[in-house]
Amino acid sequence: MKISIQINASPYQYQAADTAWHFIQAAIAKGHEVYRVFFYHDGVYNAHRDSRPPGDERDIVKRWSSLQLEHDVGLVVCVSSAQRRGLLEQSVALKVGGYEQALANGFRIAGLGLLMEAVIESDRHITFGA
Amino acid sequence: MKTLFFIVNKSLQGNVCGQEFLDMALMAAAFDQKVVLLFEGEGVNALVKNQCPDSMELKNIVPVLNALPIYDINDVLVEEESMDVWGLVEEEFEISVNALSRKAIKEQLNLADHVFSF
Repeated sequence: MKISIQINASPYQYQAADTAWHFIQAAIAKGHEVYRVFFYHDGVYNAHRDSRPPGDERDIVKRWSSLQLEHDVGLVVCVSSAQRRGLLEQSVALKVGGYEQALANGFRIAGLGLLMEAVIESDRHITFGA
Repeated sequence: MKTLFFIVNKSLQGNVCGQEFLDMALMAAAFDQKVVLLFEGEGVNALVKNQCPDSMELKNIVPVLNALPIYDINDVLVEEESMDVWGLVEEEFEISVNALSRKAIKEQLNLADHVFSF
């Protein structure tokens, strides 16, 4: 089955990002295809490169980067949600004088069109976080 | 073409996600999907006339509501039971809606390919 995922909540405050990550691991292990993970609303904080949790805690951001690296799952951050929250794409940051390295490895910034494409292409679209 | 249900079940003020949620519905319509908007629970208040969110420097959704037909979004459902709870009648709404019972809405929901809420 082709599955797309949407994450609406920030990491560390809500369990949505953890649950989604475990769900994706299980889905891949069962042979399903995870087409895309789309980060919306406060979910964009999952892409924050400078997140540094204490050493004895799971590193949510790194976990996403590894998922992309190991399974080639597209990690897409909503551009308008991200810009509102100060997470800028490098080219935009250069233009407006913002921080250029905001996004962690494996994430890319795009519009809602990529969310809709994922919804249309997938057999199931599952949202985590209110 | 898929049928996508977007359920507004929270007030659009107090939860600022509402604006980004409606963006999603409009984008779905722009992708030629069949979009159904459902207002229920506290969400029915979003339709009430004469709101001034500008006084809180929040965006008014009325222009979006009025633009729905331009996006080919013609199915705007409101749950009758929720209208009763909040003491609202259709005449108080900014746009014309299709008020349906919870049971009738459930039948329509069964036809949806995807259901979104916020």
